Amino acid sequence: MPKVISIHSYRGGTGKSNFTANLSTTVAAKGYRVGVVDTDVPSPGIHNLFCLEPEQMDKTLNNYLWGESGIEDAAYDVSANVGLTGNGKLYLVPSSVKADDIARILKNGYDVKLMNDGFRRLVKTLELDYLFIDTHPGLSKETFLSIAISHILILILRPDKQDYQGTAVTVDVARQLNVRKMLLAVNKAHSKLNLEALKQKVEETYSETVAGVFPLSEDIVQLASEGVFCVKYPEHPVSQEFAKVAQQLIEG
Amino acid sequence: MSDLGDLQSLASSISAVTSPFRGYLNDLYEKYKSLNDGKVADYIPELALAKADWFGVCVVSRDGQVFEVGNCDQLFTIQSISKPFVFGLALEDCGRDYVNSKVSVEPTGEAFNAIVLDEVTNRPYNPMVNAGAIATADLIKGNGSTERLKRLLEMFRRYTGREHDINVPVFLSEKATGNRNRAMAYLMLNFGMISDKIEETLDLYFQQCSILVNARDLAMIAATLANGGVNPVTRERALDERYVQDVISVMLTCGMYDASGEWAYRVGMPAKSGVGGGIVSLVPGKLGIGTFSPPLDVKGNSVRGIKVCEDLSRDFGLHLFNAAKSDRNLEEWIAGGEGINDW
Repeated sequence: MPKVISIHSYRGGTGKSNFTANLSTTVAAKGYRVGVVDTDVPSPGIHNLFCLEPEQMDKTLNNYLWGESGIEDAAYDVSANVGLTGNGKLYLVPSSVKADDIARILKNGYDVKLMNDGFRRLVKTLELDYLFIDTHPGLSKETFLSIAISHILILILRPDKQDYQGTAVTVDVARQLNVRKMLLAVNKAHSKLNLEALKQKVEETYSETVAGVFPLSEDIVQLASEGVFCVKYPEHPVSQEFAKVAQQLIEG
Repeated sequence: MSDLGDLQSLASSISAVTSPFRGYLNDLYEKYKSLNDGKVADYIPELALAKADWFGVCVVSRDGQVFEVGNCDQLFTIQSISKPFVFGLALEDCGRDYVNSKVSVEPTGEAFNAIVLDEVTNRPYNPMVNAGAIATADLIKGNGSTERLKRLLEMFRRYTGREHDINVPVFLSEKATGNRNRAMAYLMLNFGMISDKIEETLDLYFQQCSILVNARDLAMIAATLANGGVNPVTRERALDERYVQDVISVMLTCGMYDASGEWAYRVGMPAKSGVGGGIVSLVPGKLGIGTFSPPLDVKGNSVRGIKVCEDLSRDFGLHLFNAAKSDRNLEEWIAGGEGINDW
């Protein structure tokens, strides 16, 4: 049965898109058919990590939400872009980066039902094993939808007070929406922190599993937003941590 | 999200969107969207304006959850679907015995517009054929045509939870071309079965057929009946609980024109169709279904609407007399959850 995985954080800047790109690529590298939808319509970005240039995007998620195209017409095979070899496939449905398009969708909104139906259609037409949903930070109707629809919700937080508080709110909402499974991921942990102790503390705070703890990594920063880190440096401890999280998704 | 109430209500509206049952309806919609059989009614020019590809399906559960797909906002004239509900109002106005003395409840193999009355009692066969519907409209109380029409519109408001208007061109066309119905009315007047305010009653009948509704309204009407006569969203009572069984049973036996027997056998849901392309059907105690798709089969029932109801009945075991375990459990599919593989 296909699995839908939403990646969310209460606040921006947690490294959500980077996390989504690395995790989805790690899963695809194991030979699965994986889709990623950038539902961060107000501030899209994940296409950069998959080396998909705006001029290569004919149709986007926006066109689908406006009823102008099928969602499968906005899906791009980025397997080669990220250097995937083997049976695994990686598809991206990007959001438009054109200012006019963003303004139009912010002004008029869209029917969240369409988003839901699009996810289902994408899974069916591309025969996906995994669908990753990269979300806009904070809580909105769209966030609620992606939380409610997902088989696994991954909440990313940094070890600071603002993120702790916001994550608590999101966890409440996710429980209200009867989310089937929730995992936490701590990102940008300072290298001086004891990561194991941090993991335990976060798990105690929310009574949820921490799937991985990622230290603040100069190496990732250096690579900026171009390319997927874990493909380029598979032996790096950060890549190993992603492999661990991916394993939990596949087993869980 | 100021309090838990708002969070709960937003969560519940999102749950309705992500419910596997809505996914199921979506698939059903896709399955029959390209079914191009049937013909749009064209006996008056206004009905022929309907587009053949309009298609909407709405299901409202007994607790008021709304699931919809397709053109559920598109308005169309209610036509014959008005008949069981006007029958319900007549029962409230005059009581069962008196209404039964004027209109029988026997299914007929004759066409819906046949000029035929029961030879022994002179009653029209049932409130779903035109003669019976006119005799039923005659029973609606009110001081003059305006008040009687307002009472009908008010009744539909209680069923659907919103105000209704009539489509005036449709009404005028029906009135201008309605000589067959006029003939039936005079035949019934001849036998003393209806009062002599013939034109006023015929106007009311043509107006009741011209009320504008959409697929969501039909589902809400059906869910109200399924919920014992109380609208599941507004909680307002639309029909006296004593007469809920009367309305539902004539739908089961006579609701689908002269395909009613086949329908009861195959689908097993009380239902009523109209030439506008609507079908209202229900599962008592569970849910109401409203479908809208203008192309009709030779018996006058919406082709896509029939297919949707057949599938729903089969897949969820909704036939009234079904005793077998169905593939899908309705409650589970509405609520969603671990056990359902809807992806």
